[in-house]
Amino acid sequence: MGEMVQAFGAGLAQVFTATTFTLMMLGIVIGFAVGILPGLGGPVTLALMLPFIFKMEAVEAFAFLLGMSAVTATTGDITSILFGIPGEAITASTIVDGHPMAKKGEAGRALGASLMSSLVGAVFGAFALALAIPIVRPLVLAIGSPEFFMLALLGVTFLAALSGEAVIRGLTAAAVGLMLATVGLDPISGIERFTFDNLYLWDGINLVPVTLGLFAIPEVIDLSVKGSSIAEEKIEKLGGVMEGVKDTFRHYALVLRCSAIGTYIGIIPGMGGAVSQWVAYAHAVQSSPDKERFGKGAVEGVLGPGAANNSNLGGALVPTIAFGVPGSVTMAILLGAFIIQGLVPGPPMLEPASRGGNLELTFSFVWIVVVSNIITVSICFIFLKQLARITEVRGSLVLPFLLVLIYLGGFAQNNAFEDLIVVLAFGLLGWVMVQLDWPRPPLLLGLVLGSLAEKNLFLATDNYGWVWVGFPGVLIIGAIILAGILYPVYQRRRDDKRKAAGAPPAAVPVPEAEAAEGPKTLSAWHIVFTAVLLAGFTWGVWEARDWGFRASLFPWVIGFPGIVLALAQLEIDAVGFLKQRRAAAPSVGLNPVVVRRTLAIVGWILGFFVSIWLLGFSITVPLCTFLFLKVGAAENWFISVLLTLLAWVGFYFVFVYSLSLPFPPGTLVEMFTG
Amino acid sequence: MISRFLRVVMVSALVLALVPSLAAGADDFFKGKTIRFVVGFSPGGGFDTYTRFIARHFGKHVPGNPRTVVQNRTGAGSMIAANYIYNRAKPDGLTVGNWIGPLVLQHVLGKKGVKFDGRKFNWLGVPSTDDNTCALTKASGINNVKDWLNSKRPIKIGATGPGSTTDDVPKLIKAATDLPMQIIEGYGGTAIIRVAAEKGEIDGGCWAWQSIKPTWRQGIESGNVKPVLQVGPAKHADLKDVGVAFDLVKDETGKKLLGVAADVYRGLSRPYSLPPGTPADRVKTLQKAFMATLNDPELKAEAKKAKLELNPNDGNWVAKKMSGLYSMDDATLSLLKEVLLPKK
Repeated sequence: MGEMVQAFGAGLAQVFTATTFTLMMLGIVIGFAVGILPGLGGPVTLALMLPFIFKMEAVEAFAFLLGMSAVTATTGDITSILFGIPGEAITASTIVDGHPMAKKGEAGRALGASLMSSLVGAVFGAFALALAIPIVRPLVLAIGSPEFFMLALLGVTFLAALSGEAVIRGLTAAAVGLMLATVGLDPISGIERFTFDNLYLWDGINLVPVTLGLFAIPEVIDLSVKGSSIAEEKIEKLGGVMEGVKDTFRHYALVLRCSAIGTYIGIIPGMGGAVSQWVAYAHAVQSSPDKERFGKGAVEGVLGPGAANNSNLGGALVPTIAFGVPGSVTMAILLGAFIIQGLVPGPPMLEPASRGGNLELTFSFVWIVVVSNIITVSICFIFLKQLARITEVRGSLVLPFLLVLIYLGGFAQNNAFEDLIVVLAFGLLGWVMVQLDWPRPPLLLGLVLGSLAEKNLFLATDNYGWVWVGFPGVLIIGAIILAGILYPVYQRRRDDKRKAAGAPPAAVPVPEAEAAEGPKTLSAWHIVFTAVLLAGFTWGVWEARDWGFRASLFPWVIGFPGIVLALAQLEIDAVGFLKQRRAAAPSVGLNPVVVRRTLAIVGWILGFFVSIWLLGFSITVPLCTFLFLKVGAAENWFISVLLTLLAWVGFYFVFVYSLSLPFPPGTLVEMFTG
Repeated sequence: MISRFLRVVMVSALVLALVPSLAAGADDFFKGKTIRFVVGFSPGGGFDTYTRFIARHFGKHVPGNPRTVVQNRTGAGSMIAANYIYNRAKPDGLTVGNWIGPLVLQHVLGKKGVKFDGRKFNWLGVPSTDDNTCALTKASGINNVKDWLNSKRPIKIGATGPGSTTDDVPKLIKAATDLPMQIIEGYGGTAIIRVAAEKGEIDGGCWAWQSIKPTWRQGIESGNVKPVLQVGPAKHADLKDVGVAFDLVKDETGKKLLGVAADVYRGLSRPYSLPPGTPADRVKTLQKAFMATLNDPELKAEAKKAKLELNPNDGNWVAKKMSGLYSMDDATLSLLKEVLLPKK
């Protein structure tokens, strides 16, 4: 025990030697920028940095690499909150409540809450790493393919069941996501599913462009239509930031629980931050007595994911260190670093130096994660006021930058032009879903978990026949899933009863009470959208008919319930719509200003895309930024030229010079130059 | 202002496009240029790692010392990168492709989506060989080839999916020998296969010893995991006591099947290529530079540190082997199709 404590102290001391600390700071600076820029993910940057560690000592190397990955989730939250664009794929959930807070003029509070909860999460995850390493083997090995399949289902249903009043919409959206996850080459049978003979679709639909489309495009449209700054209301002086910090401690139990969620999901190989953030978010909603506030700027909705996506790193390190099993791409790259440094993951990492082990180094990881997060959060707090002020800048000045970032982010992950089309397609879908009050998170999580669920369903069956259905772990998780779906229903019944008891009897019919929280009015578009989804499911099931058992099972397992859910939703929509028309038929005229502005911004969004296609990124970035500012927003020459230069220099330095991304030349340019 | 800007861009683009045709010999051609390595897999994986190693030292060995960059163009198991190199990349010697070699076999077998002919690439060489080996857990009860042959139950081998080493190599072994085997497909990668084996869900897996050795080191050193079978025909230096699949073949066709496993999945898995039509003198220059890079003492030291085995073969060797795949007899070809192509 004494040796443990000593190693723990020695680990801390190692972090504070001059070179190690300097390298950690360097890592933090890089991670800071990577986190803030959408599309540029932690894994890619880690891989780019790997060659630099050859000449470093082990502690130095990990201070550099871990310092970098430890802060991406923290700074990614900043982009999500301020602009509604996910800074990292693992910070998408912060948007749901964080961005509405920014719009309400509470950007400071949201940032304070997210940073503080990030810090708590990171520290929690790091210490969990220290404590969990000795006991991790059984924890990981308890999860075989059957349990994995059940966990994936649990994640999706948990989130879907929380979709406010509209549980059926939530489940339908989840089914859409799961169905979309089957797009691509079935890896086993080699059958092309929904690929339209297009090689690009063989790998399925990429997560980052989908996330950008679903969340960022609707925000851009919204910001432009409002014609104001991001913050619709004036930011209060500074109080917000400290308020957010206080929020973290006010809801300390929630923050700790979400940290635990993040850590455990991190430990399970194959799941990661993209999943844990949503489970944490769902938990935050679930555990709140006042669910209606969520999605409109509830601080708990920021605290939960903020903690979970940071605690995830500590958890993910556990299986990597304890038995060399990397659970994610980031960890696979870190495992490469282990090998370069001549370290053997496994029990020796837990033995003190006196017995030939590397316990000190393992403990230094813990400290690196802790210290780098403390530093990042402190730096952020210094600039927080300025950061929050960005939301007060005229929207027209921010918009071209957002558009450039969305397209660059969509492109940068896979260097594929087709990803930009995915951004646009899901931008449309996301915008429609916002207009019609459909929840987007279940769709996204369905897409994340779909292929995992399908793979493990088959692995379980191949390995155990159908006996696995009776495994104790499977039964327990199954029970939790049922409880997760039924409990919110029960809760709502109870609440309704209470409401009914308090309100004058029968004065408010139930559907209208629902409508008060859900859509204000049901338009014909609701029916059209649901019908489109229904047609989609039906088509998908039909397409799958001759794919053989292996490739068609999952699309059917999802598609048929999808059809049933969509039919049920269609009935709800139609009944509500008819009732409304009979009642009063409130003619909802379209506001001409809104229509004009929507068309204008959609024009710009498409214009940027077409320009990238014809002229390439290097011309589009300055050209379209300038045109947007000068012509679109009628800014003066000075501002237009200055901001254009800023966008161009930033683009060139980060994406062309530092990363040398293979930007495709525009089609027109190619024609001219042969 | 805009029109002037556009003009500048157009003119400079034109100049850049014309420069190659003006340049004289390969010797000064590469001066001041940038050679692009296009990798078909994402950053951090084995292909990416090898390429970044090579790219970092490559410039030194090319006359004119060009700069190098690595770009990842992922998708369809690197087929998108292969198609890109063949059809879209300019054949000027400034773009080098790195994608998985067995794709050429997929072309021979008539797989959909392949838009190239493996005989027409200009090959630079391969940096290493993959000595594919089956490693099984202690819990499987199989300690050697004899145990395996006598096993009453099929030994469960975890695999990712058709076209990958983890899947195709055991399939070929299964078809060529009498080893009882059940291949379970669908694992997310070799790390996930390792977890499943440690959990006891499967008995083990078959892929490159060069990758098993560093990543499963703990299991092997503790005796929980054991290499039980290598494809061969030659034994890897670490695996002197491990049985060779070639010794177990049932018949001549079995030998041919294993021959494919030994060729395609051993020596040809990580080839570097130039687009068809690249000027011959530049191809020669780059081929020479490739071998010189792999013999560079600095690169060797780094590779040793990272536990990357180097066992380079040059472009001519690769070209010969690749062409050989196109002259297989019909019987072997249809047998390969039956074994390797996925069934519904």
